[in-house]
Amino acid sequence: MQQWETACLVVANIIRKKSEAGQLLFQKEIFRGLMDQKVLKSDNREQLGTFEAILKKTMKRNEDLKELLDKDGIPRYYSAEFMSEAYVRILLRKEGNPLLLIAEIVRENSALYPRPIPLDTFKNPPFELTQEDILACLQKISGQEKYQDIAQTITSIGTVFLYSSRHLDSDYASMLAEWLDVGQYNNP
Amino acid sequence: MAKYGGWVGKILRVNLSTGRIWTEDTIEKYKDFLGGTGIGYKVIWDEVPAGTKSFDPVNKIIFGVGPLAGTGAPCNGRTAITTLWPTCWPKALVATGHMGGQFAAELKYAGYDSIVIEGKADHPVWLSVVDKKVEIKDARRLWGQGIRRATIEISQEIGPGAAVAAIGQAGENLVPMSVVMNSYSHSAGGVGAVMGSKNLKAIGVRGTGSVRIAGKKEEWEKLIKLHLSLLGANNQHVVPSSPQPWAEYYDAASRWKGSRGKMWGASTPAIETGTCNPHDLNRIAYRTNNAVHYLGDIAWKYTVRGNGCTGCPIRCHTMIKVPSAAAKYGIPEVGQNTCGGLNFGRSFFKTFPDGPRGMTGIEACMVGMYMSDDYGIWCNYSQLQRDFQKLYYEGIIKSKLEEKEFKSYSWDKYEKGDPSFLFELLPRIALKEGELGTALGLGTGYLLERWSLSEEEWKKSHGLNYWKLGHPKHHSNEEAGQCGVIINTQYNRDPQCHSHANFTRNGLPLEILKRLAAEIWGTPDAVDTVGAYTPMNTGKAKMAKWSLLRKELHDSLSLCNWMGPWVASPLKERGYRGDDSIESMLYSLATGDKKNRQELDQVAERIFLLHRALTIRDMGTKEMRTQHDTIPQWVYEDPSHRPVYTKGTTHLDKEDVKLAMDMYYEEMGWDKATGAPTPEAYRKVGLGKVSDELDKKGLLP
Repeated sequence: MQQWETACLVVANIIRKKSEAGQLLFQKEIFRGLMDQKVLKSDNREQLGTFEAILKKTMKRNEDLKELLDKDGIPRYYSAEFMSEAYVRILLRKEGNPLLLIAEIVRENSALYPRPIPLDTFKNPPFELTQEDILACLQKISGQEKYQDIAQTITSIGTVFLYSSRHLDSDYASMLAEWLDVGQYNNP
Repeated sequence: MAKYGGWVGKILRVNLSTGRIWTEDTIEKYKDFLGGTGIGYKVIWDEVPAGTKSFDPVNKIIFGVGPLAGTGAPCNGRTAITTLWPTCWPKALVATGHMGGQFAAELKYAGYDSIVIEGKADHPVWLSVVDKKVEIKDARRLWGQGIRRATIEISQEIGPGAAVAAIGQAGENLVPMSVVMNSYSHSAGGVGAVMGSKNLKAIGVRGTGSVRIAGKKEEWEKLIKLHLSLLGANNQHVVPSSPQPWAEYYDAASRWKGSRGKMWGASTPAIETGTCNPHDLNRIAYRTNNAVHYLGDIAWKYTVRGNGCTGCPIRCHTMIKVPSAAAKYGIPEVGQNTCGGLNFGRSFFKTFPDGPRGMTGIEACMVGMYMSDDYGIWCNYSQLQRDFQKLYYEGIIKSKLEEKEFKSYSWDKYEKGDPSFLFELLPRIALKEGELGTALGLGTGYLLERWSLSEEEWKKSHGLNYWKLGHPKHHSNEEAGQCGVIINTQYNRDPQCHSHANFTRNGLPLEILKRLAAEIWGTPDAVDTVGAYTPMNTGKAKMAKWSLLRKELHDSLSLCNWMGPWVASPLKERGYRGDDSIESMLYSLATGDKKNRQELDQVAERIFLLHRALTIRDMGTKEMRTQHDTIPQWVYEDPSHRPVYTKGTTHLDKEDVKLAMDMYYEEMGWDKATGAPTPEAYRKVGLGKVSDELDKKGLLP
């Protein structure tokens, strides 16, 4: 019984730590974590059954721990205490088509705040796209009808911002980009 | 035991003409004005006659510190320095410069709530304050030295823990565009020359006492933790600049730059800021990086750490180490500052050979910081640099200077963006050398007058940001519509009010801003998003009044209005609410004088009205609406001719702004026709005698 308690605590800790670091976890990674910490001793079939039971019990006991099924049907795990839904959405999108990732993030920013988003945002974590990837995406976006709302504006100092014309008209997007990139620095 | 905590009980008074040094009881005379600007305005009202000029010996300088300075309340490091302002044009009126650093706390630990300086010494002196031992000391050996050398020499004399507020050569030479500075990089603009006019090089303070907290220790610690939990990054930006695992929202423009993988690259070893989860109160200092904010991602490599004021975990003065600047220009490789101070050198240039966020711009920052923070030159919220660019590129400098003087500058270097040009320009401002150096050091209003240029032209120009009385706007319509405009009409220099901008720029989605606005100012319509303004409403008038009163409250308590107020927070579980009562809770527990939010706001209103009364008295007119609360033409114009109140423009409608001023005056209980407070408004906040005095002069509406 004591061993089960310990195992559940270890699982919860593994998931929370990874969430804090910005990662979703697959079952196999949690399993490996339990092996590394000698909670499970081998990966035979019997141990797999034990692992599934531990995981199930852990999820039931800890409200912050969430199981997420993406389109591929493979569950991912995270702690809502350490990872926001918005971040989870980014990580899931990142697993798929980068075009869609960029488009959805741009639309979200244009609709929510509302504001255009600097192109360089996609070079940084958690997106971590290369300059080449980003430029390739932009080229593809311009030719596809489903992304025709994704537009760009360039500020007076040459910074490229993206916005969605569904939510921001071009004059407004340009003005906001100029404010974000130049105006606010002149008004510190 | 003293009745009250917070205050340490004595105001230090020094007459430099007579050498007399004495103290006054803080509580007896100044408790109703808290400290900071409150004490400053009160001393000027009571003791400095109308018509006094900035450099007259009878003018006074008040180093005002509040009851929260030195207490451990977050962001408590501000000193408000009030005097008759030398760059206020066409005549000196009351205004305040603000410095952070360690001076405010050290003064409290020495046993003083403020220092009032009057008179004029017959030779250069500095004031030594070491606990109860206060002496006027000879400063002739320091005169002519920069701020750093003066600071070091005084520290060597009274101890390494001293806080030294010193002026540089600019202040000594009575250059109005000069600062006083403490703790290496924390300056208050505009007052350096007033100190210089009194032959006062510096004030060195060393205190070994403490500040008593009236409330229970556990309650105080709990309150401090609550306040810390509400903090964002610099300017109370409550969302990070890039997506973080814990964050629902982000904003590339946020000063909250810390992120997984981002390193203070010039630390040894390099330090990763981490994701800066807001629940980890021990990592608040890793959030802000103002070098990266202004200079771009390139600055991570040069970042050593953040630096800042007493009791402030934000550390907005980012320290950068740039060996190439040391090698090329023979200056120290480490520099630190924020905002206008960080950008002092860079802002003179229109272009750099490697673009706006390249290495040359960083080197220009290093050269600018090194020189301006030693000579003690003030930028007037970068109006100096904006004026300089206009004057040069429109050929005005060439036309106003003798050929020999014009040719003595390397204008080719300037046009190419070569930072070494600053070695030619800045010393001449500080030393009043030549026509250009002298004129630039006067401040905009007096420069325009000297060169027979039209202030109206400055008031029409969008790029100049000029507002009135020789000073620029500071967070106006560009980010807070009518509320920003109202605030910019109220002071005798740029208003330095961040209450409104720290809310509108905090990075949260519009929907949340509107929800919070409805809770604070009664309607979600109090705020618009930038560039999508709507016509005036009462919520905006309430927000303007609240913003101004919170500014005065912070300035009087020694809290930092560059950081507060704290009505939004990074905490999802609080619905991103902050706490509008944090100031009154801190004040009540620290001092033992229990006041709720409304009661403390009324004290702030008293202080603000005293500033208004002083302005009316010294201008000699009650016609504030037309003579003082003026608005430059550029506010009403859009260079692209977009219709007003459509998306994509920040200009405002003239009639609507008239309505905005009506609604604001009404909210304040002032007379709408003149913009002057009524007798009832004065009496409501306990300023009946002030009202009577103005009445005798015919200055009531």
